[in-house]
Amino acid sequence: MSVEAAAPADTRPPDRSGPILSVTDLRAHFRTTHFGVNRYVRAVDGISFDVKRGEIYGLAGESSSGKTTLVKTIAGAIKPPLEVVGGTIDFAFLPGYGGLHRAPPTEVARIRWRHLSYIMQGSMNVLNPVRRLRQSFVDFARPHIAGTAKEFETAVIGHLARVRLEPSVLAAYPHELSGGMRQRATIALATICRPDFIIADEPTTALDVVVQKDVLGMIHGIQREIGSSVLFVTHDMGVHAHIADRLGIMYAGRLVEEATTPEIFKNPLHPYTRHLISSLPRIGDDVPRGGLEGAPPSLADPPPGCRFHPRCPLAMEICSRRVPDMIETKPAHRVACFAVNGSTEP
Amino acid sequence: MSAALLEVSHVGKIFTRGGLFSSRRIVAVDDVSFQIDAARPEIFTVIGESGSGKTTLSRMILNIERPTSGALSVDGLDLTTVRTNAGRMAFMHKVQPIFQNPFEAFNPLKQLDRYLFMTRRRFHAEADQATIEVAVDEALRNVGLSLKEVRRRYPHELSGGQLQRVAIARALLSNPKLIVADEPVSMVDASLRMSIVNLFKALRDDLGLSIIYVTHDLATAYYISDRIIIMQKGKVVESGDARAVLNAPQHPYSRQLRAAVLLPGVAAAGGPVSQPANVFREFNASE
Repeated sequence: MSVEAAAPADTRPPDRSGPILSVTDLRAHFRTTHFGVNRYVRAVDGISFDVKRGEIYGLAGESSSGKTTLVKTIAGAIKPPLEVVGGTIDFAFLPGYGGLHRAPPTEVARIRWRHLSYIMQGSMNVLNPVRRLRQSFVDFARPHIAGTAKEFETAVIGHLARVRLEPSVLAAYPHELSGGMRQRATIALATICRPDFIIADEPTTALDVVVQKDVLGMIHGIQREIGSSVLFVTHDMGVHAHIADRLGIMYAGRLVEEATTPEIFKNPLHPYTRHLISSLPRIGDDVPRGGLEGAPPSLADPPPGCRFHPRCPLAMEICSRRVPDMIETKPAHRVACFAVNGSTEP
Repeated sequence: MSAALLEVSHVGKIFTRGGLFSSRRIVAVDDVSFQIDAARPEIFTVIGESGSGKTTLSRMILNIERPTSGALSVDGLDLTTVRTNAGRMAFMHKVQPIFQNPFEAFNPLKQLDRYLFMTRRRFHAEADQATIEVAVDEALRNVGLSLKEVRRRYPHELSGGQLQRVAIARALLSNPKLIVADEPVSMVDASLRMSIVNLFKALRDDLGLSIIYVTHDLATAYYISDRIIIMQKGKVVESGDARAVLNAPQHPYSRQLRAAVLLPGVAAAGGPVSQPANVFREFNASE
């Protein structure tokens, strides 16, 4: 029988237009208390963006730019010391709450895996090490898929074939599989319920280049087939170039530029994005490439104004005083920089 | 040849796992030979995926691991003869390591300048603090830092890129001839990665150091290396001039590696962003 027949009846909201995820002015800070003094690490500070239906939205940024915190906040995995200080996260399938963290547990249980699933970096952390893969599939997906146990198993086997895994892996424990196989099993696990929205946080970082290309092709193929939206997080611009439809560039807790992937690579506007792209070495090209002066700022004590200004070649006087807004300079190309978006007038 | 800085001849390493009756042999490195000339400093790159034996090879060059067959010698010194503490110090004078993760390489509770002073004191019989500080400052200046920036700082106060520079400066303090760098940039922020890679070039050109650069990143390997070897399952499958090998790989495995590199140029060219795996179509068609 086909996988389609095994999928449960469509309970998705009728609204098929508009973005599937809309994040507005999201601020999530880590609070630390030392001797009664509160300090805030502003890991996500005023981020707004939309993810459309059926697109792969890539989120790029170096370590400690806040991209994992942003993803955690969107997924509702908020534990102290992380706090959501302001802003809303609106999923099309979860209207009216302003984020998973504000929704009641019954709603969250309904949404999870059926509408929202995750592919995480360490597949060992997703798969329970003391349970066989078959049991993991039951744990994660069985509550969301109607039908008999036999039908469920057939659907799982059919779905595993999509990621080129034999049915025999269902009897294996995670440690018996190679890294690439585990990551493919995780992808199968995350997509079996045909969710509307998939969060992929560095899903290929731990893999070899050859396996990585394979896994990326699989994520892309499944995404195109079931029409999900994907929020794809990685620091590797090469990966983004291959998979993302649109790209958002993060620097020190803020979004600094957003455009379609070809546009970002062809016409990067923000000086940080320009550096990121021009510093990538290429095979068959001997142009000397430089690193950026200075170091990424501490999020506990970020520089005032634009957080990039101490390292920026285009820095002006205004940059250290005011925070640049994300302004659309061209259709579908937003950038937060006084020097290039023409917003210097107060 | 007598002028070889590093001579690796038919080196193999076999790990034996299991007990007396059910032992399993894992061939990590299988008959690897190459030579680095003392008169011509170069960046020699070892490329391979995880499990290809590249880290085992670098550990054998550092004399942390003993080869099960073959011989290694550095500057005419056979590594199997290095047995005493004094011999080890003499060896470390010539060869120094740089590790992958700078945050793990340093003790988080120890100030960085103390590391540098200690290293200098250990390798050179200099009792005078002022002389040591001059030497440390010079090593730090070679990597684009200065003693003023590092003094009394703890590892968490510096970025990954700066910390990796301190690790390189520490390696320079013994005036080595060879540096073995195992994945030195994979944990460094994207905006700082190229400055570390450029630093290796500068060390080769200005200080005449040879560097063994172990990596899986073909793009940076192409950017800095003079010669490369490509390893698969412990064997060298292709070796030669870096440009020539990476521009036109011959061995099927090297070709596969080369084809798997995700080139950012694809997106700039405005072409199809990626090809979703064709398997699905085949699978659906057969369904």
